[in-house]
Amino acid sequence: MSFEEFQNRSRLYVIGALEPDEIDEFEQARKQFGQKAEDFIGECYALHEAFALSLKPAKSSAALKDKLMSMVREKQQR
Amino acid sequence: MQGNLDGVVPLETEEETPRLETSMPLLDPGAPTDLELMRGIQEGDPDALSLLYDRYNGIIKALVLRVIHNEAEADDLLQEIFMEIWNQAKNFSAHKGKPLGWMVTLARRRAIDGLRKKQAYSRAEERLQSETEQQPEAWAHNTTETEISRGDTRQLIRKVIDSLPPPQQEAVELAFFQGMSQREIAAKTNTPLGTVKTRLELGLKKIYDGLKELRHEL
Repeated sequence: MSFEEFQNRSRLYVIGALEPDEIDEFEQARKQFGQKAEDFIGECYALHEAFALSLKPAKSSAALKDKLMSMVREKQQR
Repeated sequence: MQGNLDGVVPLETEEETPRLETSMPLLDPGAPTDLELMRGIQEGDPDALSLLYDRYNGIIKALVLRVIHNEAEADDLLQEIFMEIWNQAKNFSAHKGKPLGWMVTLARRRAIDGLRKKQAYSRAEERLQSETEQQPEAWAHNTTETEISRGDTRQLIRKVIDSLPPPQQEAVELAFFQGMSQREIAAKTNTPLGTVKTRLELGLKKIYDGLKELRHEL
């Protein structure tokens, strides 16, 4: 697999869209390209952030946050 | 699902190592950075979680809603996600990426897991169809300076995504927001598997390249 092909697969990998039969080959190439591959895969996670930031923020109630914070504080006291 | 909770790490280039800066909202002077808040959470400071929640609950909930299409379930998941951020903060490493990337990856995984469970009992297709039409109203609010800044970022990112040919956009959105495999997308869109793969590869590459260009505009 060329590095360009590996890059294409990496972008599928980070969103979980590689098919099971493609994963072995991908993992082999990942080992072969070493740190260069790890760096590229890490960079591809920016896609996650970008998709989330393409959406308009949604509102939540203040009660939801209050409940969350009380659960956190309760857990902390245990 | 493949992948892990790694975030963004520097791109390998010949000169320096630039990052894909896609998102950071403008912070008030003196406000703690996301990284400082994550460190606070790692040290068990609930106020740090409270601030992080205020900063990102809207984005995380929008992501969950986009996947699960149900307000009440999205609220439940939002709460679970922030509890998981609290519980799993020790696993976050700044060397591997930014806090927002880590949180979004975690939130997406939880939302898609939730969707899969939900699809086991319900006719999700019908609900998805009707609720997609209601989304713009549900998301409408954008008042503070920070929100406006995020709005600008959102428009720029949206522009990149919207510039894709519709079949590529559809494939990418089904994969990312619905967690569909290539085979599932092929079946849903009645398209050959090889075509779906090509659409995904081309679409994601264009978005990735577009984000690199956005670094200079944001």
